Amino acid sequence: MRRHIAVVGSALLVALLAGCAGAGSGGPQQGTSATTKPEAPTCGTDPVVLNAHFETGFDLPFKLSEEFTKQYPKVTWDIKQDQFQNLISATPRLLSGDNPPDLIRLPTMVSLVKDGLLKNLDGYAAGFGWDTWPAAQLAQNRVAADGTRGSGSLYAMGLNSSLTGVFYNKQLAAQVGMTQPPATLAEFDALLAAAKAKGTLPVMVWNASASGGGLAFPLQQLMAAYGPTQPINDWIFQKPGATIDTPSNRTAAEHLQRWIKAGYFPTDANAIQYTDANARFRGGEGLFMFNGDWENANYDKGMAGKVGFFLFPPKDAGASVAAMSSPLTYGIGAKAKNAGCAAFFFNWVATNEQARKINVAVGGSNPGGPASLAIPPAAAGSVTGETLAAGAKVAAANGAMDFIANSTGSIFAKGWTPELQKMVGNKQDAAGLLSTVQAEYKRELEQGS
Amino acid sequence: MSRAEHYAGAALLLTMMAVTVLPFLSIFTTALHPSGTLPRGIDWPAHPQWGNFVDAVQVANMGVLLRSSTFIVVAVVPVALVLATMAGFAIGLLRIPGARLLLLLFVFGLTLPFEGIITPLYFLEREMGILNTRFAIVLPLIGLFMPFGVFWMRAHFANVPHDISEAARVDGANTWTLFWRIHVPLARPAISSLGVLMAVWSWNQFLLALVLVEDPSRRTMAGALGAFQGHYATDIPLLCAGTMLILLPTLLVYVAFQRHIIAALLQGSVKG
Amino acid sequence: MTADRVIRRTPLRRGVRRRALIGWLFVAPALLMYTVFVLQPLGLTIQYSLYRWNGVGPATWVGLSNYLTVLRDPDLVGSILNSFKLVLFFSIVPVSLALVTASVIHRVATGRLGGLTRTVLFLPQVIPLVAAGIIWGWLLSLPGLINQALTAVGLGGVTRAWLGDFDTALPAVGLIGIWVLLGFCTVLLLAGMTKIDPALYESARLDGANWLREFLSVTLPSLRYEIGVCLTVTVVAALAAFDIVYVSTGGGPGNSTAVPGIQIYILTFLERQVGLASALAVILMLLVLAVILPIQRLNREDRS
Repeated sequence: MRRHIAVVGSALLVALLAGCAGAGSGGPQQGTSATTKPEAPTCGTDPVVLNAHFETGFDLPFKLSEEFTKQYPKVTWDIKQDQFQNLISATPRLLSGDNPPDLIRLPTMVSLVKDGLLKNLDGYAAGFGWDTWPAAQLAQNRVAADGTRGSGSLYAMGLNSSLTGVFYNKQLAAQVGMTQPPATLAEFDALLAAAKAKGTLPVMVWNASASGGGLAFPLQQLMAAYGPTQPINDWIFQKPGATIDTPSNRTAAEHLQRWIKAGYFPTDANAIQYTDANARFRGGEGLFMFNGDWENANYDKGMAGKVGFFLFPPKDAGASVAAMSSPLTYGIGAKAKNAGCAAFFFNWVATNEQARKINVAVGGSNPGGPASLAIPPAAAGSVTGETLAAGAKVAAANGAMDFIANSTGSIFAKGWTPELQKMVGNKQDAAGLLSTVQAEYKRELEQGS
Repeated sequence: MSRAEHYAGAALLLTMMAVTVLPFLSIFTTALHPSGTLPRGIDWPAHPQWGNFVDAVQVANMGVLLRSSTFIVVAVVPVALVLATMAGFAIGLLRIPGARLLLLLFVFGLTLPFEGIITPLYFLEREMGILNTRFAIVLPLIGLFMPFGVFWMRAHFANVPHDISEAARVDGANTWTLFWRIHVPLARPAISSLGVLMAVWSWNQFLLALVLVEDPSRRTMAGALGAFQGHYATDIPLLCAGTMLILLPTLLVYVAFQRHIIAALLQGSVKG
Repeated sequence: MTADRVIRRTPLRRGVRRRALIGWLFVAPALLMYTVFVLQPLGLTIQYSLYRWNGVGPATWVGLSNYLTVLRDPDLVGSILNSFKLVLFFSIVPVSLALVTASVIHRVATGRLGGLTRTVLFLPQVIPLVAAGIIWGWLLSLPGLINQALTAVGLGGVTRAWLGDFDTALPAVGLIGIWVLLGFCTVLLLAGMTKIDPALYESARLDGANWLREFLSVTLPSLRYEIGVCLTVTVVAALAAFDIVYVSTGGGPGNSTAVPGIQIYILTFLERQVGLASALAVILMLLVLAVILPIQRLNREDRS
């Protein structure tokens, strides 16, 4: 018995000492001192296995990881992939578990930061010089001490910057008499009406619960056309007092409702999932589709040369353009074993020539990084050329917004999607849509989710 | 019974069978369409793409999933069978004191929805350190199969005539010999059909696999079926091919053993 | 039976106790697994329901307020109502249809056709519910098989995306449930029918009863136990539905197919409100018991 106590006692002592010694290196760094040391680690010379969680259906991270290992053979990957929906629910468990990921796709951030599950990247930002990059790139990945986004410490990095707008079927466009992309909202409306008159489906969209309501895309574009983008971003970033239920947003929602009532969307929209909508659009159903450049590779495959892209037009001619643009967000676990190597990977993705080429070719998006680095050109005839050019315009106009679906962990599943579905089913109007979502938003913020 | 009644009845049955089978046919024909298309309804393609099945296996990593699911079934079913048979024997035949209460306790478990226990199960397993291993699914499944298993075996044992046991006791058999040498062989139909049912249910587990195992390649085939939908962002025929492949093992097992299952169900009721 | 009772009353006490102990040893392993992996989590769920917790941080005691929140939230109460509506489709319809089918098989097709029907109808029980949801999601879509068939028989005007329409989504999910559960009930009821004493039918026929009277006075009462089992299994399937709904509609459109299982999933994993989710789960379990127990009482066949 006494020997037992001695053994246990010394074990405890060792643990205590080890704990003290290790306190500075891996714990959650929320709330540590304001002066963060700049660090620019490398992956070292010993073999490293990066523990990563990617999303299914998107090739880019996989291709990037392969290229990284080619350039740094000592670094190999243990990649687990899962559906986006599953990742949303699994991420807190993964980060707080015994084997926290070095790199993980992040659907939402704020609650994870509040629980101290994500590594604070300020040190790396200073060391690698990320804070000299265009500020808009990193803004969406910052979380302040009060839990609002858009400013504060950096907790995630984007592998690229996506852009959302309107894809169009060139053949159907010619039939409807569209010679160039519409420059104003009114011209867009006219094109929709012309398509409808000709018996062509004006807009293909997905609105099934399983994929989340795709109507949120046109809704947000209309909001940005009718009013400034700052209030929308404030609401998404959970700034105190922000509301989505504003007069200009209400006008936008009414506009969307007119489109729904005019039959511009498929009648079975509420049953169409994301993958089906894309398949149908590629099959020639729908003149327009609101989507993002992450689909470029798939559109090029199915509609090579027959698909085009334009930014959603502003209300008045010549007014500034706006679009949803957000980083492909990845985070590093607060207790990750290979945090430094993961940070190095982030830096490599944005600055390495080969990585940037892969980003454009496979991801279809802007690789980000320092403004001084040229964006690799897209393949000839690919719609990526159009989206990259458009992205530059949005950046210049400072018109980038995050997605309204991202404002809280469940606002999409419990707010936007059901209410937009009700609008399609003629059970909800514009005013009700916004007030219900705002109420749900407030309820969730009060609950602390 | 008139001819008309006979034909009407047969027609009804044929209709019902057709309705039951149609969905399977639809998925099958869709799986044969060229990758990336969107076929409508039942529509035999001009050029059947049998290669889709091969593609589905590769893309969905089905070899790994097959191994994973098989491991789970092999780990769960024999153990669960032994446990349930022993308990059913004790409750149904030995009639130990408290048998009634025990049965009620087990049967209560039949009414529990999985959602009711999945969250604490997650945290429990984390403490036990078995999360994300295949045991994360195996151990709870054994526990979750106890209600139905005990109920099923008890129903069998309760209906066995007593003279067999009495004769064996008179001959000096102890309880274990009674169980192992006499009653288990007698109970073979009930045990084998229970085993088949448990195998099918293990194979088809979805929610447990989804929540308790992080790595999709360590889940069951059915558990990874949800992930199929995300990966095949553009390919519906492949999705259907994958679905068919996941269904195939259970269908084959069922067709091979359906006589057993149904016979056991009948046996249980006839004796009652 | 009586001979047994006499024999059992006279053994030595020591022998009885030893036998009882051995008997309990037989039960112990099953009881252990069940307690650790089912009863213990059940207890934990009840415990969680009294706290507010996000699964990662500290938990705060809130007593019964989670239950009040559930009962006051129209969406959550609505999900409970939806699951009761599903009972109509998952339970009442399959049992009724199965009665008809089983009696047809029993009466008309006792040979190969009957055996084949039994096998085929039971098939849906064998596939993962998730697969059933995916398959039927396809069939019920606008370009799917159901609409094709309707157009073929001239009902083209009725076609729609059944799972995307507010009025038909829940019944459509119910249809999937009927497809899955019909075979189970048919087989069970058929088994019950085969044990009905033919003499009862003979005497009914002598009294001049037609098919319907036979059914009501002989078949139905004799099947009480089997009908009870069918109802129990299908009601639990309806109230606890998750897989099928998650895969086919995800709870939409709007909240028309949101059932407690889905809400628990959203609350636990998207909203990270483990306490609230647990309260809803406990309420769900109490509801299941509240519906099942009367059914058991109604069908108490003494099987001691």
